[in-house]
Amino acid sequence: MRRIEAIRQIMAQVTDELVIATTGMISRELYVVRDRPENFYMCGSMGCALPIGLGLALCTDRRVIVLDGDGAALMSLGSLVLSRYLALPNLVHYILDNGTYASTGDQPTCSRSVDFEALGHNVKVIRVEPGNEPGIPRIPYNPREMLQRFMQAIGRRSERGTAVGERSRQE
Amino acid sequence: MRPMSLYQHFKAKGYDFFVGVPCSYLADFIGELQADPEMTYIPAVREDVALAIAVGAYMAGRKPLVYLQSSGLGHLVNPITSLLKPYGISIHLLISLRRQPFEHFEMYRIARELLELLEYDDVTLVEEPLCGE
Repeated sequence: MRRIEAIRQIMAQVTDELVIATTGMISRELYVVRDRPENFYMCGSMGCALPIGLGLALCTDRRVIVLDGDGAALMSLGSLVLSRYLALPNLVHYILDNGTYASTGDQPTCSRSVDFEALGHNVKVIRVEPGNEPGIPRIPYNPREMLQRFMQAIGRRSERGTAVGERSRQE
Repeated sequence: MRPMSLYQHFKAKGYDFFVGVPCSYLADFIGELQADPEMTYIPAVREDVALAIAVGAYMAGRKPLVYLQSSGLGHLVNPITSLLKPYGISIHLLISLRRQPFEHFEMYRIARELLELLEYDDVTLVEEPLCGE
């Protein structure tokens, strides 16, 4: 299966979940498949998508989906163990595993030697083909505006609940 | 009157989410955090992971603080330059500046300049004499 097809299948099931997408082509393909205010495109800081998702899932009652790659998950493997330790019921961690750093030209990773599902919590590994879709654009948003859009999307739904997001909008 | 502890000081300032990597100089601070029934203690595996967790908390509207010892400051260069700065996020860092034993000295020597170079000033530095041993 192509990676973008895996992203399509995941996003077809998504309703109001917050989605944190790792840096590189996974964010860009997510943008093409289904752009929405509840998506956070993490451009940079490879390996940080899961811990950002952990912080979010700890502090909201929203369901959180992390879209990770095998290279990014390997870069912060300890985060998977921390996720297993925290065992947050509102977090799902997808790892789209193509065995390569596809965004940089399909150089191999060592993912075939790890059992991500045994290390992490609610991990769903989807094996995908190496390579990138042709003609995928860069995400056109200003990163600060995209973050504001994301935080407003969290705040809207949270008003009835724990009032998270209130402070950030007042400041 | 007893002086306010470092932990109470930050709670009084509105910080409501604490995550980090321990330092023996911050043991009292971390002990109070662990004992606080309002808080969840999160054993972050590395400083960059702690900072990214804090970013998630920030997105959810919390006011987080990340604590670490200076030896772990290097791990923050990547998330400060490619996460906090581009997205315009500021997370307060409580850093214990460790001079000794010897393996700490080089980072101690450059820590302030490194933070200046990163243009990151949302920081409280705690020097050894202040935090004791």
